Amino acid sequence: MHGTDAAILEAGWGGGAAPFGASWQKTMMWIFIVTDALLFSGLLCGYAFLRGASTVPWPRQPEVFSIPFIALMTFILITSSVFMAIAVTAAKLGDGKKALLNLILTIVGGAAFLACQAIEWSHFIADGARLTHNPWGPPQFSQAFFILTGFHGSHVLSGLVILIVTAIRTGLGKTPPQGIEMAGLYWHFVDLVWVFIFTLFYLL
Amino acid sequence: MSEAAHGKSPYRAYWISWAILLTITVGMLLAESLHMPRLVLVLFLLSFMMVKAVMIGANFMHLRYEKRNLGFMVAAGILVTSLILYAFVSQESAHVLSHTVR
Repeated sequence: MHGTDAAILEAGWGGGAAPFGASWQKTMMWIFIVTDALLFSGLLCGYAFLRGASTVPWPRQPEVFSIPFIALMTFILITSSVFMAIAVTAAKLGDGKKALLNLILTIVGGAAFLACQAIEWSHFIADGARLTHNPWGPPQFSQAFFILTGFHGSHVLSGLVILIVTAIRTGLGKTPPQGIEMAGLYWHFVDLVWVFIFTLFYLL
Repeated sequence: MSEAAHGKSPYRAYWISWAILLTITVGMLLAESLHMPRLVLVLFLLSFMMVKAVMIGANFMHLRYEKRNLGFMVAAGILVTSLILYAFVSQESAHVLSHTVR
């Protein structure tokens, strides 16, 4: 290998055995997160298109949703994210019991969020919202709601499955700290996506 | 991580981030009810949405402890692609709207 090739591999952008100075697991997780973020980016841009092209005035969200209830969902998700971050750090510090306890608290938070989402969907559907029409005017409004929150909810659900498996394996002493860190990255990503949905769909 | 070495709880930073994130969320909800001009409200909400996203990425996802090029790959990859997509989509929606109204 030429000296210049070795210098390129050692450089920040060079790759080598550990591109970005991270393990392959973490690098692959981040690449997955970027691609999944682009899925939500596409959905949110689709929502922007539907709203921008709508000839009927877009409904005012506080007249349709209970914004304090949505704020409660945000509170639950952010708090579960803190428990997840604590679990990751505790696992790295070798405190398996604290890691497991915080993983369980994260799961409780995620389950509470999903329960809130089920309540919200039930009210929305009971008010007459369907994929093709809704009582507030533009049909795109309920379409965007079901697709955005549905995709996010499915991510929360899969995150919960990952967390439950991770918690069981942590209890059995089979999950290394890095396994908890990977589950944590996914969970924080789910929280991150909600920040955008909360602002762009419910507040703007 | 260095906080543990200084005798502080290694979890303190997470609770501080949590408090800031919740304060920002409450601030965004209050801004909604203040009936400020639409453009100001949009800028306010988008700015603080980005602050929250950066805080979650940096503090919870530990990007602040990773090499900078990883954070750059994530932020630039998502932001630039999204902005390009939005630039095309917003023009297209305006075009569709003008044709529909006509």
